[in-house]
Amino acid sequence: MTTFRSRILESINNESLQTALDNNTERRLKGRAVAFESIPDWRERIKRAHAVRADVIEHLDEYLAKFIAKNEENGVIVHRAKDAAEAIQIVLKITDSNRFASRRWSETDDRSRRTPLLIAKSKSMVSEEISLNHALEKEGINVVETALGEYIVQLRHERPSHIITPAAHLKKEQVAELFREKLGIPYTTDIPTLTATARKILREVFLTADIGLSGVNFGVAETGAVCIITNEGNGRMVATLPPVHIALMGMERIVPNLNDLALMLSLLPRSATGQKLTVYTQLLHTPLPSTTLRKNQTRHLIILDNGRSRLRNSPLKESLYCIRCGACLNACPVFRELGGHAYIGSDLSIAPYPGPIGSVISPGLLGENYVHLAQASSLCGACKDACPVDIDLPKLLTRVRAGQSPHPQPLSQRARGEGAGLSPLTKFFLRMYTRVATHPGLFVASQKFAALGTFLFAPFSQWIRLPAFTGWGYSKDFPRFAGKPFRERRKSKKVDKETGRQSGRFEGGQVETLADKKTEDFADSASRFINELTALNGHVHQTHNATKDIVEFLKQRGVSKIHLEPNTLDENLLREANIEIANAPDPQIIVGATKAICGLADTGSVLIADGEGSPLEASLLPEIHIAVLKSSDILPSLKDAMALVKGRNVVFITGPSRTADIEMTLTIGVHGPKEIHVFLT
Amino acid sequence: MYGLISMVGCVSGLKWTHMTTVQLFVTCLVDSFFPQTGEAVVDILSRLGISVNFPPDQTCCGQPQFNAGLRKDARAVAEHTIRVFEKTTGDIITPSGSCAHHFRHNYPELFEGDSAWLPRAKSLASRTYEFTEYLVDKLNVTDLGATWDGLLTYHPSCHTLRGINVDRQPRALLQNIKGATLVDLPHAEECCGFGGVMSIEHPELSAEWLKRKISNLEATNSPTLVVTDAGCLMHIAGGLHRNNKSQRVMHIAEILHNT
Ligand code: SF4
Repeated sequence: MTTFRSRILESINNESLQTALDNNTERRLKGRAVAFESIPDWRERIKRAHAVRADVIEHLDEYLAKFIAKNEENGVIVHRAKDAAEAIQIVLKITDSNRFASRRWSETDDRSRRTPLLIAKSKSMVSEEISLNHALEKEGINVVETALGEYIVQLRHERPSHIITPAAHLKKEQVAELFREKLGIPYTTDIPTLTATARKILREVFLTADIGLSGVNFGVAETGAVCIITNEGNGRMVATLPPVHIALMGMERIVPNLNDLALMLSLLPRSATGQKLTVYTQLLHTPLPSTTLRKNQTRHLIILDNGRSRLRNSPLKESLYCIRCGACLNACPVFRELGGHAYIGSDLSIAPYPGPIGSVISPGLLGENYVHLAQASSLCGACKDACPVDIDLPKLLTRVRAGQSPHPQPLSQRARGEGAGLSPLTKFFLRMYTRVATHPGLFVASQKFAALGTFLFAPFSQWIRLPAFTGWGYSKDFPRFAGKPFRERRKSKKVDKETGRQSGRFEGGQVETLADKKTEDFADSASRFINELTALNGHVHQTHNATKDIVEFLKQRGVSKIHLEPNTLDENLLREANIEIANAPDPQIIVGATKAICGLADTGSVLIADGEGSPLEASLLPEIHIAVLKSSDILPSLKDAMALVKGRNVVFITGPSRTADIEMTLTIGVHGPKEIHVFLT
Repeated sequence: MYGLISMVGCVSGLKWTHMTTVQLFVTCLVDSFFPQTGEAVVDILSRLGISVNFPPDQTCCGQPQFNAGLRKDARAVAEHTIRVFEKTTGDIITPSGSCAHHFRHNYPELFEGDSAWLPRAKSLASRTYEFTEYLVDKLNVTDLGATWDGLLTYHPSCHTLRGINVDRQPRALLQNIKGATLVDLPHAEECCGFGGVMSIEHPELSAEWLKRKISNLEATNSPTLVVTDAGCLMHIAGGLHRNNKSQRVMHIAEILHNT
């Protein structure tokens, strides 16, 4: 048995892993189905999204050139890395030049007393792909994963097991034990307590990190925007608080313009987590200006090839359309048995991208080491069905099997040619069968031979009990060949030429069709907004005098100081009520109040833009975020708001910060605000 | 019994009656293991006034080789099949969503860029119908006058459901069987774990899915599981037999054939 197969068996026999995976599958599939109901034109959208991605990959060089030029214009430092080693070198160089510009030391400090450079990292699959953490840690740099699931996995010295929910394989008891051991808290399986512990520790990391490192969900060619989405808010923290932000992106993650981005964002969160929109959808154009917490931000954008060009010039091109939503993993029955840790290479290394898409791209990106993974599929097509950009994953899997994957290194005998990853015995039998199936005479003779053979083997039963090593016999019996195959029986039977009978009822017009779903009569946008946000545990207060009601709210909460975006509220009234006003970020303040540029009726989101008084921080650091929104500024949906975004640094906020990283239990308030209150005027 | 609905000849305005001849691609599995399925297909079509021809040189569609990645082999078998059916005319009917999917989607893939073979492959594909698809979409028949006593539950084979998008057709046909109570199979759309060579190359995976399929079947209390593919049939039935379960798996043609 291959090591891959024994690893599969290990996963199958790991009961707690199986429970976790079953939960993941069921919850995600249901969530996705419900989320898609709210966009009745989803089929159409998927088609369009496929076309957009196809166009981008077709003209990738032009789009990338435009994207890079825009970013340089925007003051972002752009690097291109052709492989993992180059990307790591670039990061190391950045860390080196920032070592002394750190907020914690100056050139004159005693070198030996400096603490190691600290990098706060939000989830990035690309960094897993290039094993960045390992390389940085070797250089004595302290890298802390800040997404709850990633943090847990890092504490366990594991790799993420799912591209969306990295700790999908763990139960809360395991996390409780881990936190007790590693973080020194009393053993508790209370998920909110575990989450709060992580919040406290990681908040300190965000505030003191020298560098924030994140992945990139999309790059917008037209404006240069880098789009980063997170639910917990760590993606915002690392891109906002440290003096240096490094954004690491795969070169294929481009969309042409903001409209296309809106289309992708209507599909990605729905497919990934069943959300209409991720809690924080950041669009960053320029490095952020200085605040009381740091000087002017420097942003580096590293664009990685690492085999993507190779894939692009191969029959696996379509795999680059992927937007890394993870839906194909959730739909995949193989992933459901294996989890993310059993997709191993022949050198036992864990493939960074598990699931159907991983089995397609891993050999091309990383090497023939992973070529056998593509054989572990029944080609059932559940992945293709789930894919929001309609990638024909089963077809691509058969192409990998046919030896059409490109490879970074010259190939060994094992991976060369057709039937890549197939066992030699199966290959031998299939080739014999080809001879039989191309010669009808031989085919008939074989049928007779097999019928006789299987009859002798099991004269008294229709079924043969094959031994387990045959594969088939592992879990089922094999049918005996028919004594007389169809063709024989047909020959001996006089074909009845009569028309025979038929039901006489021709129901062509009555073939069942799904009743057209009634489109709801939409209530007005304000009430839709309220419904959506309330459903996400957000609060909406309708008011005629926002300041007065906010003062009342603050009094109730016993709050006497707020971080306020200028020109948002009547500051005199606030002062009269003895509310102290700060215009700059301060980690001690527990309420931040900002304007909302607009609201989105279909998702309950508010748009916050950077500007005077650091509204990005005001909507991120405090425990409570107050947003003041005019009813007339509520737009139908994301795409309608894109015109307001152009060139700015903005975030769409959809409810309070949240996570479902421990046992998929929804927990509010991981890194960002625990409460969001929209005062609707 | 045959007389009961022998009125077909009288139905006027249906140009295809009497005249139509179709070609049967019976599939290697039905031919070798389940000949009664092929006979049911022939019978049902004949009752509808369609004459069924069986080109005797047919063997296999070549999907096992294709799925395993042995494209040269898959091509050789595909060329053979194309040649056999090129000698015939009319629609090609196959009691397998998987083989229909293979003709329709994998043959063009196999011959991509081959200006001589690609049109031939596409022409074969355009003539091919899965059995229930042909009945419902082409003949507009959803009631075959079939009867059944008791519960039935339907497993939509992966390549029928997602490969060629055929689902309402078999369901409509089953719905109209007199006496049958159709019950929903929980998680019906999940693969049973056959997957051609996968069930041999990765028996451990295959076994898990099969277990789940069988326990979902048990949850329905239906003694009979209906499928549209002999692959799933031999896989699930083989699993049931190994575990001494009493449920039967039957091809939809045999169910519809029962009057
Ligand atoms: S292949 Fe499709 S479903 Fe899978 S992660 Fe990529 S976009 Fe999502």
